[in-house]
Amino acid sequence: MTATVPIEESMPTDTSCQVFRGLSSEALTPGAVHGLVVGQESELRAFSADEAAAELGDPFATEILLKGTFPRFAGEVLDAFATVGTDGDPLRSAKFFLVGDGSQVLFTPETASVDRNMRFLITLGNGSEGPDVMFSSFDPGEGDVELMAWDRGRGGFNYYQTVGDSSGWVFAGNSRDALLADSEDKGPFEAHPSGNVVMKELKTPWINWHSPAASILPSAFAEDDPLRQHPWLELARQEPDGAITAERLIRLAIGRWTRARFAAITADGGRVDRPERIVRQIVTSPAVNLVSSHVESPLVGEDPVDLPPTFFADIDGLVRVGLAAPPEGFGMVSAALYRESMQAFDMRLEDGQGFVQPGDTHFVFVVPERAAEDQAVLDAAIANGLLTDRLAACLLMIDFPNPVFSRRRTSLLRHVPPTATLTAGADVFSRAMAEGILAAAGTDEGSGEREFAERWGAGDGWRAEFDRLLGAYYAAVNEQLATQAGLDDVIRLAESRRDHVRGNDRLARMPISESPLLFARTNVPPAERVMRSDATVAEIA
Amino acid sequence: MAELERFDTPARLRDVPAAARQDWSATISGIFADYVGRHPQFYDPTAAETPTKTTVAKASWPAFPARLTRGNPPPEARWANADEDRAKQDEYCEWSVERDNAGKVTRLTFTTEVPEYWEFVAKHDRERLLDLYRELVAPDVERDELFDGDTYLPDNPRNQGTTGRLAHLVQGNNKLTAAVDLVARATVLRQRNGVPVTTQQALVVCSGLGDPFRHSDPQIAQLVNNAAAMGDEVTLRDPIGLYLDEFDATGFRAPDGTPAAAFWTIERGGPSHPVRARFEVPPGHGYAVGDLELDGRRITFGGQVADRVRVRVEALVKAADHRVVREPCRGG
Repeated sequence: MTATVPIEESMPTDTSCQVFRGLSSEALTPGAVHGLVVGQESELRAFSADEAAAELGDPFATEILLKGTFPRFAGEVLDAFATVGTDGDPLRSAKFFLVGDGSQVLFTPETASVDRNMRFLITLGNGSEGPDVMFSSFDPGEGDVELMAWDRGRGGFNYYQTVGDSSGWVFAGNSRDALLADSEDKGPFEAHPSGNVVMKELKTPWINWHSPAASILPSAFAEDDPLRQHPWLELARQEPDGAITAERLIRLAIGRWTRARFAAITADGGRVDRPERIVRQIVTSPAVNLVSSHVESPLVGEDPVDLPPTFFADIDGLVRVGLAAPPEGFGMVSAALYRESMQAFDMRLEDGQGFVQPGDTHFVFVVPERAAEDQAVLDAAIANGLLTDRLAACLLMIDFPNPVFSRRRTSLLRHVPPTATLTAGADVFSRAMAEGILAAAGTDEGSGEREFAERWGAGDGWRAEFDRLLGAYYAAVNEQLATQAGLDDVIRLAESRRDHVRGNDRLARMPISESPLLFARTNVPPAERVMRSDATVAEIA
Repeated sequence: MAELERFDTPARLRDVPAAARQDWSATISGIFADYVGRHPQFYDPTAAETPTKTTVAKASWPAFPARLTRGNPPPEARWANADEDRAKQDEYCEWSVERDNAGKVTRLTFTTEVPEYWEFVAKHDRERLLDLYRELVAPDVERDELFDGDTYLPDNPRNQGTTGRLAHLVQGNNKLTAAVDLVARATVLRQRNGVPVTTQQALVVCSGLGDPFRHSDPQIAQLVNNAAAMGDEVTLRDPIGLYLDEFDATGFRAPDGTPAAAFWTIERGGPSHPVRARFEVPPGHGYAVGDLELDGRRITFGGQVADRVRVRVEALVKAADHRVVREPCRGG
């Protein structure tokens, strides 16, 4: 039997992940599992034991909650898992990782008040498909825990949340709810738009994470901060390879959900009810990861700066469809030029509360790139016969100098057929989508459709033609980066893309923007900018 | 713990008799002598006491070269790049790859053995050196291939390539003397324009401690420098050497489900101080390394497995009360 609990009036209108912060801990029944899948449900409901057992197949539910243990804090979650199963149960084995947007800001009396946004990621049950359970915590002794656990019954990650210091838990949905029209982009799926796991700085040098590239020292914490002596800090610091291991586990987890998502389609006869939901992850930027150079800001002026190649094109996706990677040395910039740009644009880290540190982020040039979860979907869409290499390549090659936030590529979404069937070796969907776009190719000069028609027109020689286009573009980028004016334009472009993440008066903030220290600030005026295929940068209305 | 009686050989290897090993200790003491005194927070454990409560500080890093990950090339590209040339394997660990006629990977060999030790063996027992090559590299190795007259050639033709089996480290920076130099000089605290220099790359550049874009040098430098900032003294832990730290067997998938840890065999140094290991499927399984998957990808490169191998060096941090004085960066 299901009991419902009154909720604040604001809840039905607030569909963001903040909805759970709007709950009072009194709204939850202690020692009970509740459900609230925002968008599908308007009321918090307490599960009966039978309902919970029927709906929740992840080890957090089956091994902890349904056995009557209701941890209130992150530390209690870990304690609860320490006794599950028998000796050697992978769920008893935890890995600790540490991340903080200001983790490399030297701790001095002047910087003592800076919120470094330091938090732990804990993974449990780390097998060949990645972790079974993940949760993050600012403080092992505090509530408001967010936890994800793999549902062994129906697949996908189950999302959980505590509220305040209540021992009640809220089930906020399963990964597949992220793909349903009612609940997509709502609740936890605002920050996990495809229902997948997020580690926003997923590539070396993993700016902000404790890693071989940048240790987070205990001295990053105040001397009187209890976390400085907390065992979790030492465990995170002792975790061999730190963020390298975290990246590997998160990539496995991303692959796990992506495989399960497509396996469910195959099991359903291959019918894809909303193919737009898949293509969206290929032609738009519902999520992004952040990537940076490998050069510390204090070093600029002495070593060349390696601007991330994926800033200039979707290298990962293009290589996936068989196109050539850029030449070695692509994107390298003279340190002297970068230093000049840092000064000219008054680059600085600031928290809006009085802390200002001249220079760029710890590793310079942090920018958004196409999200790993979207790359995984591209890979699966091809591997499972939804997209041919050729259609995928033609889509990626639309406005290719702008791998994220491209209006031209986004405009092609309107041509996605309403249904599709996964058919290994066939190209039914790809042909239908291509024909739909080509039928509209008489539209404006410069439209996505016109550009697609050009790309599709390359015919069977598309690989050679696209490699030629990309080769010319990569050469033009390197030429631009050899000049101060060219680099300055690239930095202006980077600022424009960062605005898409941190938000401004035109753009909504993306959920991964959680700290003012995520990017450096500059004096570059806000504007929408794009890269052109000759590697020049233009402002657009 | 009192003064160390003498420096032992790396991994306490016993390739030469005890009397000759005294010479190794003298060699290491000679290296230390270049730094002790000039660097007050670096000490020689054979000349100064190491109290029982001294802390062991470990720096551990991936064997795969960080330099080759700059620019985030596709994984296959960086693995192929690292497999091409030992000169690129610059994290105090090198490896070589063996394949069958079809090109399938059959065995990988990893080493952290420093060239100084092999030169030491060559100096004291050439026959033993030749035996080691015949045992570890290939049975047909001839003495003439290893020596130029009386001089042992660490980068001889049998220890240059990335195919077959290697003998010991040969990349230009992968030397014990380099590690000692790094630890000793990392005890010097630095400042630039009055601001303490503490981050990894900045510290390496400021003090001229090596390559800021490797995993190893910046990590070792920061570990030591952080201890020095507390006023403590630092030395390297005996037996001084670079060691294979841990093999991470998660994410591998064998056709018959055998855990990959079963394929990792330490060949020299033993479990506490491994300096050489092979990754090979033992006979009887009916498949080879190239039939394994790692994180969903078939193993086709040595670099793939190098991602899962770690290297370590251990320091001793002795409590002391040196006054913290920061010197400006070298060169300004």
